[in-house]
Amino acid sequence: MTMIRMNNIHKYFGSLHVLQGVSLEVAKGEIVAVIGPSGSGKSTLLRCMNQLERIDQGLLEIEGIVIEAAGDVGIKVTATPQEVRATYRRMGMVFQNFNLFPHMTALGNVMEAPISVNKVTKATAVQIAEKQLAKVGLLEKKDTFPSKLSGGQKQRVAIARALAMNPDIMLFDEPTSALDPELVGEVLSVIKKLAQEHMTMLIVTHEMGFAKEIADRVIFMDDGKILEDSSPKEFFENPRHSRIKTFLEKML
Amino acid sequence: MDHMEYVLNILPFILSGLKLTAKIYVATLVIALPLGLLAAIGKVKGSKLIKQVLFLYTWVWRATPLLLQLFFMFYGLPVIGIRLSPFAAATITYALNYGAYLTEIFRGGIESIDKGQYEAAKTLGMTYPQTMRRIIIPQTVRRVLPTTCSEAVNLVKDTALLAVLGLPDLLRIATQIFTRDFDITPFIVAFILYLIISSVLVKLFGKLEKMYSIYE
Repeated sequence: MTMIRMNNIHKYFGSLHVLQGVSLEVAKGEIVAVIGPSGSGKSTLLRCMNQLERIDQGLLEIEGIVIEAAGDVGIKVTATPQEVRATYRRMGMVFQNFNLFPHMTALGNVMEAPISVNKVTKATAVQIAEKQLAKVGLLEKKDTFPSKLSGGQKQRVAIARALAMNPDIMLFDEPTSALDPELVGEVLSVIKKLAQEHMTMLIVTHEMGFAKEIADRVIFMDDGKILEDSSPKEFFENPRHSRIKTFLEKML
Repeated sequence: MDHMEYVLNILPFILSGLKLTAKIYVATLVIALPLGLLAAIGKVKGSKLIKQVLFLYTWVWRATPLLLQLFFMFYGLPVIGIRLSPFAAATITYALNYGAYLTEIFRGGIESIDKGQYEAAKTLGMTYPQTMRRIIIPQTVRRVLPTTCSEAVNLVKDTALLAVLGLPDLLRIATQIFTRDFDITPFIVAFILYLIISSVLVKLFGKLEKMYSIYE
């Protein structure tokens, strides 16, 4: 089953052409690492998937439902706004800067969406939240406010918060880029755990070793285009473009 | 006459003035706080027309003297046929004036919240009203509390302008006793009362700030 289908996506920021005709399909259970130099459009690609940015042209389908059909693509969005919302709600997002709610405890952060969006009772929300916090290994920190957590712990709470909505797809936008090096591991191991459960994931990352280890596919973006879309083995051992070779040499 | 006895003698009058001051104070805050919050949200998220109306409102009410605004309400409105009770005229003026300042304070507070908070809420499926109510406003309240508190203390002192309009507030009553007895004691009593009220408020608001700073 195709979870995400992007066809010829274009996105502009003013006169800047950030995505220049990107096409991509992600199947259920696939783990896709998105790699590339900064400013290549990796984050924008992710942000277009869950409507944090609106595409200017192209077609976006999530789980078979047309979410956006911008420009002259010959298809119209037939889903109701509610259906569209429901669909992109099934995508969890993890941000580089965590974006935890600072006025709520770890538990409160994870409980919030189940209560306000899914309208579950408080008792159920506590159950859901405790389960997810246990999963990321932070149950004992449930009553702690984000300001008292380390970067790695914050990011794990953020992952638990996204998981509490029971998403089909997880989007990670440079989840370890804001972390001190010694804290990167704990976040990556949580993501690995999700990989073992065959969660569909897109991960924008600069952690090459990690990408090589867990990804089914590696996408290399440069200048708003997908330059390569191949298996990690092929990507790291035998990249087709010289641009990728230079990039990898700099990273390793 | 024994001085203490004189003070006790005039105190009931002065306290009756304090009652009016307190009524107008509370009524003003009850109107101005929600008004400021709604207008601030309107300024951040409203349509172009709403934004223009709100710009005009905060501009006019913050750029002219409060006393002049009170004069307009008391002496200007009757000229065009609108007659309000002195209490209503005073409360409306204070509420609109303080509402304008609070609008700007709250707007600044809302705009200081990182856009990542909106994005996190959005990706969790929360609607805009939910995001405001549950995520943005609580953080805004924490941030604007100190400035709002100093406004609330200012209001105590600004209510003394009522005396100029002849309303029997704390200061007006004190003035009346002064002209009757030619003794400045009522002023000293009023002075001390203002001091006490303001200090109690500062203390209360300090507690409130502490309560809200729990997550820092």
